[in-house]
Formats: sequence, structure tokens, C-alpha cells
Amino acid sequence: MTGESPLTNKPDIRIMSTPRSVDVEITSRCNLRCRYCYYFDNPEVEYRDLPAEEWLKFFDELGKCKVMDVTIQGGEPFIRKDLPLLIEGIVRNKMRFSILSNGTLINEEIAGSITKTGRCDYVQVSVDGSKPETHDSCRGEGSFFRAIRGIRTLQRHGVRVTVRVTVHRHNVNDLENTARLLLEDLGLARFSTNSAGSLGTCRRNAGNVLLTTRERQTGMEILKRLSVKYDGRISATAGPLAEARLWSRMEDAYAEGSSPFPNGGRLTACGCPSNKIAVRADGVIIPCSMLPHMELGRVNHDSFEEVWQSSATLNMFRQRHKIPLTEFEFCTDCPYLPYCTGNCPGLAYSLTGQVDHPSPDACLRLYLEDGGLLPKAEDKAI
Amino acid sequence: MELSNKPVANPVVVLREEFDDWAVLFNPDTAEAVGTNPVGVAIWKLMDGKRSLQEIVKEIEDRFADVPDAAIDEVAAFVSRLVESGFVGYDLEGFSE
Repeated sequence: MTGESPLTNKPDIRIMSTPRSVDVEITSRCNLRCRYCYYFDNPEVEYRDLPAEEWLKFFDELGKCKVMDVTIQGGEPFIRKDLPLLIEGIVRNKMRFSILSNGTLINEEIAGSITKTGRCDYVQVSVDGSKPETHDSCRGEGSFFRAIRGIRTLQRHGVRVTVRVTVHRHNVNDLENTARLLLEDLGLARFSTNSAGSLGTCRRNAGNVLLTTRERQTGMEILKRLSVKYDGRISATAGPLAEARLWSRMEDAYAEGSSPFPNGGRLTACGCPSNKIAVRADGVIIPCSMLPHMELGRVNHDSFEEVWQSSATLNMFRQRHKIPLTEFEFCTDCPYLPYCTGNCPGLAYSLTGQVDHPSPDACLRLYLEDGGLLPKAEDKAI
Repeated sequence: MELSNKPVANPVVVLREEFDDWAVLFNPDTAEAVGTNPVGVAIWKLMDGKRSLQEIVKEIEDRFADVPDAAIDEVAAFVSRLVESGFVGYDLEGFSE
């Protein structure tokens, strides 16, 4: 059940003795059922919560491993009534923390307790639109006003708030108003974007949630324009804005006959396993929340440090960056291959059943063959 | 009452020894981090409030080859930077163990 044994293989790449950061899925419960959720409906996952004493014991181990920060996620972390106790365990072990939340359960008491720790880097709240019609379309009725109330509560208590906007079919045309709400009305310093991906619950709802090629193009154009307007205050590591930036660079490089990108032509997209790791709500250690099926060990049962250093599965995953894209029939004759990194292994697994495969969702060639266009040259300089 | 001349490492600061003998000093209260080499790690571990700068330098000279004559100045500068950023302090005279 809990990964492989024995934990013997040593990696042939340098890794830190312990990870700097750990993503902890503190609960598998959530008060919302978002239609694009990556977390739920993964058949390989046991949705069960560790009791507080198990988490506290694990945080003691993380402290001994000199882990620097913990990202508390879920499910919805604020659904746990004992969250302040768990945060206290993190703080006691000389770590900092951040929280990923839907914002709807945040109240004065919990916001105040976060402030008092002095160790919170940020609380990230999901906001998917400028109004209930767009935000609630995928997240459920009433969630917009509660999320905004949660943000304002955190702000009143001096907690640094960030927002993640997940772009989907029902909010792509509300991005301009969403940016205005977040950056002007709420006064956030910045926000980040991604897009709904074919993971978890979203696979069931893909047909009416995921962006079509045309909508993806619209999202790229709008977000690139807004990124200029708001002078870099909109970021992205995935989704239309990230794709617009990377794909424009790839298209330019191909047109100019440029040398391959340093990380191009191989499955290099994921750098996570060199400095961070994740733990599921049931205590199973996994490489990343996007790869919940890759069980590496179990907290308080297996040595965390030993799993990090010697898990055969994890060390195999760390070799993924050596796999050339030329090995894949999917990439045959692709002109962009020297500039491509294969993108997220979690999406690759969800769509192809293989972790060691490029993600079809992030394929520039497929996007262009389906009629997609990249933003015009004058919009590229962001 | 005056400050002692014996630096003491802030107990909340975490020393993370990374690969290639490099290390990171991380202050979780401020989120500040400082990278350091093996000599810096050795100095850090010697700052227990019981040793003066001169005594720390003497121990460094015993442990590492080719320590330059100006080591005392370099150690003093290193410790001074750590004091400025709150990684290191000095006990009050008479209050150290």
C-alpha cells in the first residue's frame, strides 16, 4: 500500500539532504465541490484524514529535517477545526507556512491566529471571476461573496493574501473585470493564473469546463494585454498566460532557426522533485499533488529523509529529465521539439496513463493544428 | 551592564547543510536566508556565547588549512553581517552561562 521496498536506489543527480519545502494536504474534506477540481475523484487515492497527533509527530520530523516551509492545502484546510493547533506544530518546529484555500471558511478568529504566528508567508484564495455568475459557475452558489469576505478578513488582520484565478470556459471573458476587482478594488499586489486541467473531477466535466482552442486563444490575448496594463502583477506557471509566453518564444526560436533551448527536447518541465515533496491527507508521501498515485512511503512509518533520498520511485522520477522527446511517437516530426519541455507529468499521466510522456494538453503543434493562433508580435513583449 | 564580546547564534535560526558542503542559515521569523561555506558553518557552530571572536578564530585555524592572517577581520565581518540581520547576538555580561 505504501510504496516500494526496499528504499535503496541512489540518484545520480545531486539532491539536497532533505527537501526545503513540503506540500501537506492537511485534509481531504472540502465544503465545495468545484467542477474542475484536480484533487477529488482520483481512483487511486484514499480520501481519509490523519488525526492531529499524527500530523504533529510528522511536523516534529520535518523540523529535525530542517525543512524551511510547509504549504498547507487540501481539500479545504480551514475545514479542520484543529488547524490552529496544527499550525502551532509547524511554527514550533521553526518552519514557515502558507495556506491554499477557497476562502469561504475564513473568519476573524482564524485570521487573527494566523497573524499572531508571524510565520505565514501568504494565504492563497481562489477567485475565478469578478461576480457570482462567473465565479460560482464552477465553484457553487454563494462561494464568490464568501471568498471575497475571506480575503477582506485576512487583509484586516494584516495577512498577506494572494489569489489564484483558474481560467475556464465560463470566466475567460470576465478576466478583465476580475483583474480590476483583484488589483484595483481589493488592492492586491498581484495574482496568479492557471487553467482548468484534465485531472480529478475535471475529467468528468471536461466537456463544459476546459477551454476550447478558440477560448484558449482568447484567454492568451486578454491575459497578455492585462499583464502589460498591470505591469507584471499577473503571473502564471500554467494556463493561457504561461502558454502565450512560452509558445511565443518557441515559435520565434523556430522561425529564426535558433539553437535548442537549454532544457528543450527532453522531459524537463518539472523541477519539483529536486527541492520539494508532498504528503496526502492520509499520510502517504507523494512527489507532488498532481501525482497522487505515486506512493513513496507513509509519514511516521517510513523515515522522511530516507524516502526523500532513497525512494526508488522518486529517484526514477528524478531521471525523467533525461528522456528525449524523440522517443515518443506523439512528437514525431514536430518542428518545436528542440524548444519543448514536455510540460506537467501529472497532466501527462492523467491524459496518457504514463508519467514519462509529454502532456498532450501542452502541445503547441496540436494547438496550431487545431486553428489556434498566438498573440500578435506587438503583444509579445511582456 | 555591557554586552559581552562572545557572539551567540540566534536559537531560532535553522542551519540547513546542503550539497557540496554549502549551507543555508534560515531565520523562520523573518524568512531571511544566508548561504555560507564550510568555514561559515564551523563559525556558526562555535558561536555558543562562550567563545570570543579571537577564540573562534583560533579554533578555525586549528581546523582548516591555509587560514589567512586576516582571518580575524574576515570572521569579524562575517559575524557583524549576521548580527545586523538578527542571526547572531551578544549576551549581556553576567547573563551568559
